[in-house]
Amino acid sequence: MRTATGFGHLRALAIAIALFALPLLAGRPLHAQQSFPVAIVVHPNVSIDNIAFEDLRKIFMAQQQFWSDNSRITLLVRAPIATERNIVLQRIYRMSEDEFRQFWIAKMFRADVASGPKIVYSSEMARELVNAIPGAITFMPLDAARGMKILSIDGKRPGDPDYPLR
Amino acid sequence: MLRRSVLLAATLGCTLATGAAAQHPGNPHSRFTGFLFGDITFVATEWDRPEGFLIGQLVGHGNALLTERLSFFGEVSVTARDDSYGFEIERAIVRYDFADFFKLSVGRYHTPISYWNTAYHHGLWLQTSVARPELIRIGGIFLPVHFVGVLAEGTFPASGLGLSYEAGIGNGRGEIISRPGDAGDANRRPAGVFGVSLRPEAIAQGLEIGASAYIDRITTETVAADELIGSVHAVWQGSGPELIAEYVHVQHDVEGDAERTSNGFYVQAGHRLPGRLASLIPYARFERLFVDEADATFASLEDYDAMIGGIRWDFETLAALKLEGRRDRRQGGDWMNSLFVQVALVVPSFGSVGF
Repeated sequence: MRTATGFGHLRALAIAIALFALPLLAGRPLHAQQSFPVAIVVHPNVSIDNIAFEDLRKIFMAQQQFWSDNSRITLLVRAPIATERNIVLQRIYRMSEDEFRQFWIAKMFRADVASGPKIVYSSEMARELVNAIPGAITFMPLDAARGMKILSIDGKRPGDPDYPLR
Repeated sequence: MLRRSVLLAATLGCTLATGAAAQHPGNPHSRFTGFLFGDITFVATEWDRPEGFLIGQLVGHGNALLTERLSFFGEVSVTARDDSYGFEIERAIVRYDFADFFKLSVGRYHTPISYWNTAYHHGLWLQTSVARPELIRIGGIFLPVHFVGVLAEGTFPASGLGLSYEAGIGNGRGEIISRPGDAGDANRRPAGVFGVSLRPEAIAQGLEIGASAYIDRITTETVAADELIGSVHAVWQGSGPELIAEYVHVQHDVEGDAERTSNGFYVQAGHRLPGRLASLIPYARFERLFVDEADATFASLEDYDAMIGGIRWDFETLAALKLEGRRDRRQGGDWMNSLFVQVALVVPSFGSVGF
């Protein structure tokens, strides 16, 4: 055990480092609120047509990784900036962009999941992959989902006024 | 040694950098994702320990989904030492996912006897505080940090309780009890671990409660003892609050001696500030370790008390600055003060940045 020699100087240095960083505390801009129905789209062979919102949340949070027929669920997520991604983060994940990214890194580091979501960069790419990958699930604006297999949520279709994902 | 470590680190970095490019075109499920975790900590302390800037562990982690159900998880670390760098395989797990409720794996794990041990692993960026609680300190002996064997785990998502379990059998502590039996068990009695946890989302988002038990036979040059460990934890990690509480009871039945028991617990509370200050998390932790002085297995352990207060600032999505003050003592001695400033970050392989 030793005395506190030098401790005061080093403490001051540490505090100075922290204070130096304070001006950078600028916060982050909030996403503008937009509202349009976001359709949950699945591979045509997925056997369900309707899903409870809480079950949908479990799938997106990777708490459920297999469908009821025991095929693996592959989650496709739009890259940042897309408005439908913001809606999904807000309504399903209840997270900010930063929290969402941290959530998946932690999930993979803990080996809770074998892989994170596949990132898609357009609705066209999402349409192509969700049809190509068995067990895939994704989301896209309702207008972009024509001809796809769309799930109802708690019995409500994306066009219904009380549809939860908008 | 140094050369080998640098080569390994370089290889690891190159491997991780390939990231999404490692997807197999013929298999839609085949994917690889990697991360590098690193930290640098400035320490000023009244304890007789090294001060100044300390290079922390460089930790590489890779997830490879090889087929729809087969995956590999690897975690390696490079740790700065006085005259070299130490390389360690922290986790190496091959897992086959039969279903949500049954996943079977074999390899080297962080023992699921402590919530902290399996929630944060070696990624300091993941945890709010600068360091682990004393009871699950890396290199410590109070709890077996690693476990080598086979593990069954699963979740029951359809249950409203969010029930999950883990059950494993394998090599227990090695002859040096801070280490697992990497090259085989130290005796003929395998170790067993079992844990259950609940995540009742309907009650509170982010709430988890759980309990675990671990049994083993410890054999060292000087001690032979049956070990029974029980732990319980309660965690609440919502979008704002963070509350982690864990209690551990360790019982040693030493041959030719009485039954010896030691206990430890910690409570850590933090809260992400609202609005434009959401990148800040003030936090505090209180922890205690009560060690039976007569327990020959824990001859090198001492009672420990600590009070910790700090603030974490996520100044970027993938990097955090932590300022932490710690007041702690050992064996009921004088309280000593320490100050830590830590930068911790994670580097995801490209392709995973779109999370």
